[in-house]
This record gives sequence, structure tokens and C-alpha cells, in this order.
Amino acid sequence: MKKLQFFTIGLSLLYIPQSFADITLNGFASIRASQANSDGGTTPFGEFEEGEISFKSESLFAVQATADLTEGLSAIIQLYAAGENDFDVEARWAYISYQLADNHTINVGKLANPTFHQSEYEKVGFAHNFSRLPKAVYTGFPFATMEGIALNSQFELADGDYTLDTKVLYGSWDGNITLNGVGNVPLGLNDIMSVNATLSGDWWKVFSGAFTTEMKAESLDANSYFPAIQPGVEAALSLGATQSDITNFTNAVAWDKKDGLYWFAGFGVDYEDWLIDFEYTNYGVQDSVDAPNENWYLALGRRFDSYIITVHAEESKQPDDYGFLNGINHPVLQATGKGLQGVLAANEFDGYGISLRYDFHPSAALKVDYFTGENQITNIGDYQIMSVGVDLVF
Amino acid sequence: MRYVNSIILLALSLIALNVQAVTVIVHPSNANALNKKTFKKIFLGKSKKFPDGSQVIPIDLTGGDAREQFLNNVVGKSESQLKAYWSKLIFTGKGQAPKSVDTEAEVIKFVSQTPDAIGYISDGAVDDTVKVAAKF
Repeated sequence: MKKLQFFTIGLSLLYIPQSFADITLNGFASIRASQANSDGGTTPFGEFEEGEISFKSESLFAVQATADLTEGLSAIIQLYAAGENDFDVEARWAYISYQLADNHTINVGKLANPTFHQSEYEKVGFAHNFSRLPKAVYTGFPFATMEGIALNSQFELADGDYTLDTKVLYGSWDGNITLNGVGNVPLGLNDIMSVNATLSGDWWKVFSGAFTTEMKAESLDANSYFPAIQPGVEAALSLGATQSDITNFTNAVAWDKKDGLYWFAGFGVDYEDWLIDFEYTNYGVQDSVDAPNENWYLALGRRFDSYIITVHAEESKQPDDYGFLNGINHPVLQATGKGLQGVLAANEFDGYGISLRYDFHPSAALKVDYFTGENQITNIGDYQIMSVGVDLVF
Repeated sequence: MRYVNSIILLALSLIALNVQAVTVIVHPSNANALNKKTFKKIFLGKSKKFPDGSQVIPIDLTGGDAREQFLNNVVGKSESQLKAYWSKLIFTGKGQAPKSVDTEAEVIKFVSQTPDAIGYISDGAVDDTVKVAAKF
């Protein structure tokens, strides 16, 4: 019903009479045939069906309407339909934008969450040279959009030789998230505070950013983590653990009201038709059972007129971090905590890929790629992804 | 030696014939002096004002020789690269590409009727309803 309402609002915006607002329509689409295989027989990433060639897994369509209400005010809605969600139409974005000054714009509403450097346009395949952005960094968080307020600013430095783009954002998100060993569970992110910055010259850029949030995870703790540690808790009680030990342990494991911290840094080069991109990301729930996730990708590309060939490596790791067990002395509780962290952190993977982009039309790019990697989950193990597709913008 | 000089002169002439400048036009009332960096920033959405502080309204071409010269001589990007650049801005809500028209005559008409406008055309298309601000 909510989707229908958003769709109706979207259509209403499109039909505002010309005398009220100047409407600009833009859009993007990806039509891709993909196949993923793994030695363990399980799909390496949720959108693929293991062993099947699918035109649905990575195909998507979006239309964005920008209503210019004059004097710096505009309303933007982006309607988005992805194959992995059966092409159900959703209002991915719906916000009002006001230009405070030439270099400052404030946006309020349902916005993209700039979690990492390319998160805001990660679905726009035409904007990058991969068939898909490296999964180690761009995992497709459900909180890719959020409700809040953002200030976009742009500063010219050194007489315009350099540009500094910044974004400061406050907001919140409620939804569901899929965690390894736990499944799909409700989660909320309260008081999201985000800052990111990109400094760029003619052929280079460096960037960094971070966001903190208070986790709303009462249900996740009560229905997933606490039942998972219950056998260990009972064993510890039978072996002399006190109620105080148990309370300290459950508090140490829990996510609710803890701080989530996400940050990233990297650089990009586009010089004499050589392209280099690197991004490192790190995130986790502080002082909880969640060990920090450490991810990166490095890509080297070469442009030959209308063709770009890119090779890249990527890795997603979650090394053990038992700091949350400081002060927990009972060996059974220690072992239980380490065991749960091990289950949550099992989805570690790396891989190498080669992608070819051919700009056969000013608004459309044909892309072919091959990616191979290894996941530590034995049901996945070694895996490969192949795809052929077209990304376009209009 | 004379032959060598002749060959060099011929080569330079051929290069000159092939590397045509893009002609930047503004409204006749516009007194701003423009350098290439400022012109480029206006058409990449990085500058929203003329050097004198007045608002700027860029008008783009969808194609043609002047568009090719603009991409080669000023922006230094292909049509696809420029589209990818604008995609990042449009789909993050940070900007909209300048409005485009199909012909140089439409650029001239718009600029001649809009005091804050700036456009580019090929040299031969200039008429006295607009002012040439620069050539790049």
C-alpha cells in the first residue's frame, strides 16, 4: 500500500501543470544477464541463483523527477524497481531540496545514505566501469536510503584548481537486515550523524567519511543473540557463574543502544587514460559481539577510446576482536562469546575480476565481466560470477 | 632546407585547419571576461555565477561540430564520460546538466534574449545579436 501511495505521489508530480513547476525527468537502467556458480553449491551473494543464468538478479530501472519550484526550491522523487525485488516499484528517494546559497544545498526527506564514497549512486551502473561495484565494499546495505536532512556544500580552493565537496547529514532508519547465522531481523539506526568529504583536482580525488548511529536492536538481541547464547549461559551457571557474570556477559554481547561506526577512505585517479581506484571501509557495532568489518578494493583501468578494461581485487574480512569480553572471566562465557562472534563473522571473502566497458552510445554502455573468488563459508567456497549487460542513463 | 620549412608550414596549416576553436557567446550587455577554466566550470556545474557575481545560465548543444570542439578543447572528456559525470550529480541530487538545444541557431536565439545566458557555437555561426566572449 505504501508503495502504491509513493507511486501515486510520483505520478502526481509528473503531471503538475507547467505553470506550477518545471519538471525534469532523468532515469537509469541496467539490463544484465548474470550467472553465479560456487563449489559449495550456495549462491555467493543473495541476488543470484546459484548455477542459473538470470536476467533478473542484476537488472533494474529508475525514473527520477525533479520539479523546479523556482527560487532554489525543488522536489525530487526517484521511483526504483529492481529485479531482485521482482521489479516492485518503490520510492527510493522522496525529498525537498533548497539551495541556501550558490554552494550550499539542503535536502530534507527520504534520502540516499552516503555510507561509502559511491553509495549514493551505487545503483547507477553507467556512472562507473564495473558490472557491479565491488561487493566487498558495496554489499547493498538495506539502509542505503534513510529519512533525514542533509547539507551538500562545494568549495573552490586554490583559485578554483581544487574542489572540496562535503556532505553533513542527520537522520534515522528502520527496517530489516540479514546477518550471517542469524537471518533477516528487524533493526533500527537512530541519530545517524554522517560527514563526508571529497577533495578533487582535474585528474585525481581523495575522499573520506564516517557515520555514527545508535543501534535500535532490542528485538535482535532478544530474539536472536540471547537465545543463541542461552545454552552457554546455562552451562556457565551450572559451573559456578554468578547472575552478575551473566548480566555483564549479555550486556557485552548485545547491540541495543550501542554505537555503530562506519567509515571509509580512498582515492581515484583518471590520468592519460589510466584509471586507479582504491577504497577501504571499516564498520561495526562498538563494544558488542560484532567484530569490525574490514573491506577494500583496488582497481586498475585503461581507456582505449570507447573501451575501458578494468582489473580489480577485493577483500572482505572480519578478524576476531574479543575486546567486548574484557571483564568477562568465566571460561564458558568467554567461549560462548567467541563462538557467537565466529558465526557472525564467517562471511569472509576475497576475489579478482576483469570487466570490459564499451560505450557504444553516448547514453549506453555494454559491459562484460568475469569475477572469481573464495568465501570462507564452506557451503560457498570457490565461486565465479559472469555477466553481460547494458547500463544506460536518460 | 627550403623543402623542410615548406613541409613544416604545410603541416602547421593542416593542424590549424583541423583544430578549430569553439566560440563562446554571451548577451551583448554582458561585459565579463572569461578564461577557459571559468567557462569549463560553468558548464560542469561548478560555477553558478559570472566573474562579476551575476547569475549564469548555460545553454548546451546536443551534438554537432561545435559540441565536439567543446568536448575536445574545453572539457577534455568524451560524450560518455561527461554523461557519467553528470549521472553522479543528477542521481545524488547535487545538480542538473545545463539545458540542451539541437542547433546553433537556437543557442544564438536563447543567448540573445537572455542577459545571463552563455553558450558556445562554431565561429562561422556568430551574428550581431550576441557577443563573442572568448574562443578556446
